[in-house]
This record gives sequence, C-alpha cells and structure tokens, in this order.
Amino acid sequence: MEPNTGTAETRSNGTASDGDDVAALESLQFTDEIHRLISATTTNNASSFTALLELPAPEAVELLHSPESAKLMAAPAPNIEDFKASFHFPSNSGLIERAARFSLFAGVGNNNNNTSNSPETPSNNPSANPQKAVKSEPAETESSEPLVSDPTVEKRCIKRKDREKKVKGSTKKSKTAMNESSEDAEKLPYVHVRARRGQATDSHSLAERARREKINARMKLLQELVPGCSKISGTALVLDEIINHVQFLQRQVEILSMRLATVNPRIDFDLDSIFTTESGSLMDSNFPSMVMPLVWPEVQVNGNRQQYQQQWHFDALQQAVWGREEVCNNYITPENSLLSYDSSANSATLHSNQMKMEL
Amino acid sequence: MRPPSSLRQEFLKKWMMGLQRYSTSKKNMSILERKKAIKLSADVAIASARNGTTCWSRALIANGYSKDGGDDKHLVEQILGPESERLIMKKVLTGGASVCNKRMRSKKILKRSCGIQRTRKFAPQVALASSIAKRLVRKRTQILRSLIPGGEFMNDVTLIEETLDYIISLRAQVDVMRSLASASELASEP
Repeated sequence: MEPNTGTAETRSNGTASDGDDVAALESLQFTDEIHRLISATTTNNASSFTALLELPAPEAVELLHSPESAKLMAAPAPNIEDFKASFHFPSNSGLIERAARFSLFAGVGNNNNNTSNSPETPSNNPSANPQKAVKSEPAETESSEPLVSDPTVEKRCIKRKDREKKVKGSTKKSKTAMNESSEDAEKLPYVHVRARRGQATDSHSLAERARREKINARMKLLQELVPGCSKISGTALVLDEIINHVQFLQRQVEILSMRLATVNPRIDFDLDSIFTTESGSLMDSNFPSMVMPLVWPEVQVNGNRQQYQQQWHFDALQQAVWGREEVCNNYITPENSLLSYDSSANSATLHSNQMKMEL
Repeated sequence: MRPPSSLRQEFLKKWMMGLQRYSTSKKNMSILERKKAIKLSADVAIASARNGTTCWSRALIANGYSKDGGDDKHLVEQILGPESERLIMKKVLTGGASVCNKRMRSKKILKRSCGIQRTRKFAPQVALASSIAKRLVRKRTQILRSLIPGGEFMNDVTLIEETLDYIISLRAQVDVMRSLASASELASEP
C-alpha cells in the first residue's frame, strides 16, 4: 500500500479504477484522520464523542452549531470530493482540509463539532468513494491544471472565501457543492459561485440561490428527523408535519409535568428510593435503561456484579433489563448502550454520590 | 431519531438539581404550582444543556429568568452554575431581546409599507401556483416561529437550524420525563 501521507498527490492515485486499492487507502487515511482528530480533541468529554457516534441527524444538529460545517455532511460531501479529484487524491486533501479546519475550530471551542465530523467523514467517504472513483476521471481529463482560479462569477455572497478548488468543466451539482462547501470554509471574505447553464448571473439571484440551497439542505435534515416526513414532497406539507411534531412534543411536556406533579407530593424526586424499590415492574419502564447509564458504571453482561449488589440490590433486575433493553428499546443497540455506559462511568459514580449526599 | 444519551443524562442531572431547590423552599405547593415548577425547571435544564449556543435555549432561559419572583432567578443560577450563568445571561440580555425586538419591529414596518404597494401590483397573480405555494410556506413559517421560543427573532435559515436542535432537545426532555413519571408511578403504587 502506498504511504498515506497527506501530500501524496499523484496522478496515479487519481486513476482510481481499482476500487479495492481506493477503499483500502481510504480506510488507512480514515483511521489516520480519526487518530489525529481524537488527539486534537482529547480534552473533550468522552460522552459527547460517543453520543455523537450514535446518530447522524443529531450529529448534524451539533454540527449546525459550528459555522455551517454541517453542510459538509448534509449533501455535498461526495461532490466536494470531485473537485479535489483533479489534483489530489480525493480523500486525502478533503480529510486534511477538514482536519485543518477542525483544529482551527478547536481553538474556537467547537470541539463537539470537530469530533462529530470525524465519525461522519469515514461513514460518508466510503460511500463517496465509488462516486469519486468514477467522477474523478472525467474531471481529470477535462481539467488541465489542478488548482484553478477560473474566471468564474465572483460573488461576495456571505463573506466566506472559496476553497480554491474549481474543476473546469464540472457543472451543475458541483456549484451547489461549491457554494455550500465554500460557505463551510473558514471565515474568509468571498464565496465564488459559478452560474448554472441558462441561469441568471447577477449577484442577487446568486445570493438567493445560495440561500435557497442552504435552506433546502436543512429542510432535508429536518425531514429525516421528523418521522413520516421523508415521503412527503413539498415544503408546505413538510412544514406542516414539523409544526405538528413540535406541537405534539410540547404538549407531551405539559402532560408529563402534570403527571409528575400528581404522582408526588414532594417535588424533588428521590431517585435512590425509586431505584431501591424492589419491583420487577420497573423492568417495564424505560427508566432503568436510560438511567442505568447514569448510576451503574461499567455494567458488564457477564462480569462481576457483586460490587453493585450491595449498593443496588439489583442483580437479577440488571440481567433482565439487559435482555429487555434490546427488545424494548427500538433504537438502542448493545454497542450504543455499552458505549454510553463506559462513557458515563465517571460521571455516574459522581452523580450517584452527589445524589446520595443531597437527599 | 433517538436523542443521544449524553443529552438525556445531562438534562436529568440539571433537572434534578433544579428540583432540589424547591424542596428547600416552601412546602405544600398546590398541584398547579408543582406542575409549573416542574415544567420550568425542566425547560431551563434542557436549555442549559445547550449552554447558550442556540437562540431557543437563550430565549427559554430568558423566560425562566424574567418571571416574577426571585425564586426563578435562583433556579436558573442553580441549574446553570454560577460562572456559566453569568456568561449566558450576558448573552441573553445584551445580544437578545431588546435589540432583536427593535430590528423585528422595523422590519415589520418596512414590510407593511412595501407590502401595500406590492399587493396592488400583483393582485392578478393570485392564481399562480408558485405564489400560492409561497404564501402557504410563509404562513407555515410564521406558525413555526411562534412555536419555537425566540423564533420571532430568527431569519429563515436560523429558524430551521433551531427547529432541528429544538426537536432533538424536546425529544430528550420527553424521554426523560416519561421514564421518570412511569418509574415513580410504579414506585408509588403500593
């Protein structure tokens, strides 16, 4: 295998006809980048990282907190790679750039977003690879020079600079990717936008188009998030669903707070007492599955539970809940729960001690 | 999609912290008072999980802060933690409502003055599908703005981002509250 250095720019790499090589090289570079990112953000609490590992949409939401680096993940990730295909091995420069950007963001304190990007990139890039491999070749043949500052339609759109990757001749989708990728770039003055064939090129319509693309990408994320929205087409109906969902959730909060008010004469809930209530009926609720990460550090399925027996008297319950979790909770997976347990190990003991002291 | 368990854990922690506050204060609250207290502490807790990075969280915290009674202020302080509370309240109060209010008010005035002319010109286009669609979308975004806390101060793009984040946080909140409610109901059965 070739060394996976960031500067491995070779035309030979570009002939990514050998999918296997590409994939293997990609995986090497992914692990590399992951290590880099992890080391760069070790100060992060592990919980956020593992939490972000769980779901793509919430991750995307986390990413939205950073200056629009989410767009990278939203749609154009495969397309962005097309650009780089012309002069670098695609994933290389893409990953390196993102890593550079992340380290920049890390200083700003957007560590969460950085770590969230790292699990995303490996997941996105493998899917992007075959496309890259195919698309890079025509892109390459068309462009004679790697780095291009084309005579494009320049536009001071959102005061971000473009990423100086303009492959000559790549049209259509590439522009939207360019727009969004350039918006994602670090806060630099311009964004360079290329007009599509047959479309107006004045700055206003370009700005509008860029804005519309942004909105559409976010709407797609929302569609994924709200159940039942992915089949609906049309912004108004999707917005309807979203509104209904938000209203439903808000109503749920009201109802639940009423329930909680009625169930307990005292307003502070004694979690310990709730736990030590010996009832197999606790298995029916999701509470143990959720709170277990909170108060049961390092639950192991086959491991020794003696140390916890004294504290919680829940030996059998533990076993049962473990089995139950995988059945009851539709979304949780064993790996997820293990991850969350491990990550909450420290916070769990602290919290349980704190709770005991307070109550 | 399921909210990340870290979010839920954090929410539960902060919520419990907030509720502790009430145990020390007056006893024998009526049921409605209890419900309000629970809801308020839950809202502030889930908002503080975002630590002032999102607009809706700041708006929620501002809501919790400005209610009458020093109790609620202390609640916010307790949940947020003293240092971050200072930072967040700074963000809330300065970058927040007053400035946005003025901006939105002037925007509305401008729109109204322009809109009068606009409708006169474009009245015949009523039948156009795109304009109908646009009108529908605009109505929906108005409704959405009223739902999301602090939504009146956001532009379209921010609104959608905030909605995303808000939905996830709401889901986490509902999950935790539901679990706690069912667990305590079961615990208090006999």
